[in-house]
Amino acid sequence: MKKKVLLMGASGSGKTSMRSLIFSNNPASLTARLGATIDVEQNHVRFLGDLILNLWDCGGQDAFMDSYLSTQQSTIFQHVGVLIYVFEVESRNREKDLEYYRNCLDALRRYSPDASIFLLVHKMDLARPPREQVLERKAEELRQVSGDVPVTVYGTTIHDESLYKAWSGIVHTLIPNASVLSRHLAILAHACSATEVILFERTTFLVIATSNPPAAPSFSAPPLITSTPSSSFTSNGFTSTSTSTSTRTTSTATVTSQHAVNVPEPRENDPHQLAPTRYERTSELIKAFKYSCSRVREEFHALEMELGEFTAVLDELTRNTYVLIVVHDPTIETAALRMNIRLARQKFEELQGDSLIS
Amino acid sequence: MAFIHLNSALAFTVIPLEIWDCPGDIALETLKAETPLSQFAALIFVVDIQDLYQPTITKMVETIVSLYQENPDIDLEVFVHKSDVLSEEYKIENFRHLQQRVMDELMYIGNEYEQLPINFQLTSIYDHSLHDAFSRVMHKLIDCLPYLEDLLNVFCSNSQSSKAFLFDINSRLYVATDASPVDPPTHNLCNDYLQMLNAFGPLYKSITATSPSAPRAALPSVTPAPSRSRTTSLPGSTGSRPLSTKPLFYPSASTSLASSTAGAGAGTTLTYHLITPHLALLALIPTTVFEARRGLVEYNVVFFREGVQEICQVEEEARRVVQT
Ligand SMILES: Nc1nc2c(ncn2[C@@H]2O[C@H](COP(=O)(O)OP(=O)(O)OP(=O)(O)O)[C@@H](O)[C@H]2O)c(=O)[nH]1
Ligand SMILES: Nc1nc2c(ncn2[C@@H]2O[C@H](COP(=O)(O)OP(=O)(O)O)[C@@H](O)[C@H]2O)c(=O)[nH]1
Ligand SMILES: [Mg+2]
Repeated sequence: MKKKVLLMGASGSGKTSMRSLIFSNNPASLTARLGATIDVEQNHVRFLGDLILNLWDCGGQDAFMDSYLSTQQSTIFQHVGVLIYVFEVESRNREKDLEYYRNCLDALRRYSPDASIFLLVHKMDLARPPREQVLERKAEELRQVSGDVPVTVYGTTIHDESLYKAWSGIVHTLIPNASVLSRHLAILAHACSATEVILFERTTFLVIATSNPPAAPSFSAPPLITSTPSSSFTSNGFTSTSTSTSTRTTSTATVTSQHAVNVPEPRENDPHQLAPTRYERTSELIKAFKYSCSRVREEFHALEMELGEFTAVLDELTRNTYVLIVVHDPTIETAALRMNIRLARQKFEELQGDSLIS
Repeated sequence: MAFIHLNSALAFTVIPLEIWDCPGDIALETLKAETPLSQFAALIFVVDIQDLYQPTITKMVETIVSLYQENPDIDLEVFVHKSDVLSEEYKIENFRHLQQRVMDELMYIGNEYEQLPINFQLTSIYDHSLHDAFSRVMHKLIDCLPYLEDLLNVFCSNSQSSKAFLFDINSRLYVATDASPVDPPTHNLCNDYLQMLNAFGPLYKSITATSPSAPRAALPSVTPAPSRSRTTSLPGSTGSRPLSTKPLFYPSASTSLASSTAGAGAGTTLTYHLITPHLALLALIPTTVFEARRGLVEYNVVFFREGVQEICQVEEEARRVVQT
C-alpha cells in the first residue's frame, strides 16, 4: 500500500531538515548545510512491511509554489493521503505564508478531499517565551484560516523530541491496524508483567503503537483511514473505544515544545505516572545513539537496562519494528523479557502481514 | 569581580574538585587577593582557535609564566577551543602554529622558560573532546590513579575487553581508563551511551513502584555485593521472592552493536555497571564473549567494584584526617 505524503511550506521553514532527521538519521547540526530544495524531491520510504510512504518534499520558493498551484496542480495534489504544511513560528511573511496555504487547501479540496491535514508550527526553539502561548495563538490563527477543514496542529523543533511526537502522530494515522497492534502489545505486556510495551518503526524509530490505548489527542484514532474502529485494551484490562468520528470535527493543538508546561494526562488507571513525553523522548534518544554508533561504523542492535528506576529491553521484534518492554517489578529478569520477545516475533510478523490486506 | 566556583556541579568521589571560572580580563593580582596562588593545582587557559593575534598570545604566556613563578608545581594546560569551526586541515595547522608561537614567546622571556611543561589540547563543546581534555587534566590530580588503572587492566584482560572507562556519571568525565590508548571515536561513543542511560532513568521512573535497594548516596560498605541475584523468574509469575535477604542492587545495562564493516559475528557489546553511587564502569566486550560468558564478566565487575570501593574508602579517610 502506497501513501502519498505532501510536505509543503515556505522556503526555509525546515521541511528538508525534518526529513533528514526522521528518515536519514542525521543530527540537527547537519541541517545547517542544506540548500534550498529545487522543485520536488520525491522519496519512497518503506514503512512497516508494505506500507510505503511516498514523500513529496516540495521546495517552497515562490516560483515553485506558483507552479504547484497552476500548471502542476493536478500532479501535485492528486491522490494525496496526507498533507503536512510547515509554518515557521516567527515568520517574516505571515500574510504570504497564509495566502499560499489557503490556495493549497483549495487545490487539495478539489483533487484529494479525503486527505488528512497536519500543520506544524516549526522552529519553536526560536519562539519568544512563553512558548505555549505563542503556539496556542498561532494554532488558533491557523484553525481560523482552515475554516471547516479539520486540521491537527503540532508545535515542533528539530532540537528536541517534539518532532518525533508530531511525526509519530502523523504516521499513526496511516497504519491501518494500529488498534489491533495495540491490543496484542497489551497481551505481550501482560505476559511480561510489564508496565508498558512500545512498538517503534525500525529506521525512523517513530512510535507505531503502545500497549496503552491512545490518551493524547495526537494519538487519537485516525480521522479518515480507520478501517476497524475497534476497542483496545490497556494492560490493566480496561477497555476504551477509540473515537474515530469525534476527532473529525475538533482540531487539536498539541503543545509539545520542550518548554511547555506539560500537564500530565489525567489517567486514573495509571498508577505509575510516567513522564508524558517518554515516547518521543525515547525515539529521540535512540536515534541520537544510533547516530553515535554510525560514526564509529557500528550499527545499533539491542539494548538492555536494569536501572534503579525500571528494567527494560529494547530489541528487534519484526523485520521492520523494534519493541521496548518496560517493567517496574524488580523480580523480572531481562532474560525472561528477551525470551518473550522471541516468542512473540512470529505473531507480530503475521499481524504486520495482515495490515497489508485491509 | 566575578569568580564562579563550580565545586558542587562536579561531585566527584575520587577527588573533590573546585573549579574557578575566571573572566577573560582578570589580572593575577586580583586572583591573588582572593586566595593564595599556591592553592591551585592546575591552570586551564582557554583560547579561541581563531583568535591567534599577538596580544592574545602575549597575554596568555604572561599569565602562565607569572603563575608558574608563584607556584612551580602547578599543572599548565591550554585548551585551544572552538575547534569545530575549522576544517580538519586548518584545525591542525592553527593548533601547531599556536604551540610554536607560545614556545617563541617563552624563549623571548627567558631561556629558562623554554622547557615549561605546557599541555595543549584541541577542544570543542560540539563533540566530546572537551570531556576528554578535562578528564586528562583531572588524571594528573588523582593520587590513586595507578591503582584504578591496575584494576581496569585486570578487568580488561580477564573479560577480553578492548577498552574500559571508569566514568563519573554526572560530569561524564572519565576518572581512569585501562592502558590501551584512548581512541576519540570510542570515547565519544561511551560518552554518548552514558548520556543516553542518564536520560532514560527519569523517563520511565514510576511514582509508585518500589525501586530495588540501590546503593545509598554515601559510600557503601565494602561487602561482597554481587549484582541482583539471578534467579530466573518466569514471565507473568507473581514471584514470592524473599525480599529480606536482597543484596544491594547495582544498576547495569548493555547494548549490542553490529559492525557494519566487519563480517557477522564481529559485534561489540557496550556494558555499563554502576560501581559506586557516582562512578560507572563502561566496557567494550566482543558480543560473542559477553553472551557466552556473561556470568564471568559480572563476576569480574564485582571484583572490580570491591577494589574501587576500597580505594575510595581509603581516600575518603585520608581526606578526613587532613581536614581534622
Ligand atoms: N532554529 C531552528 N532552525 C531550524 C529548525 N528546523 C530547520 N532549521 C533550519 O532552517 C534552515 C532551512 O531548512 P530547510 O530544511 O532547508 O528548509 P526547507 O523548508 O526545506 O526549504 P526549501 O527547500 O527552500 O523549501 C536550515 O538552516 C535548518 O538548519 C528548527 O526547528 N529550529
Ligand atoms: N563554535 C563553537 N562555539 C563555542 C564553543 N564553546 C563556546 N562557544 C560559544 O562561544 C561564546 C562564548 O562562550 P562563553 O563560555 O560565555 O565564553 P567566556 O567569556 O570565555 O566564559 C558562546 O556564544 C558559546 O556558544 C565551541 O566549542 N565551538
Ligand atoms: Mg528543502
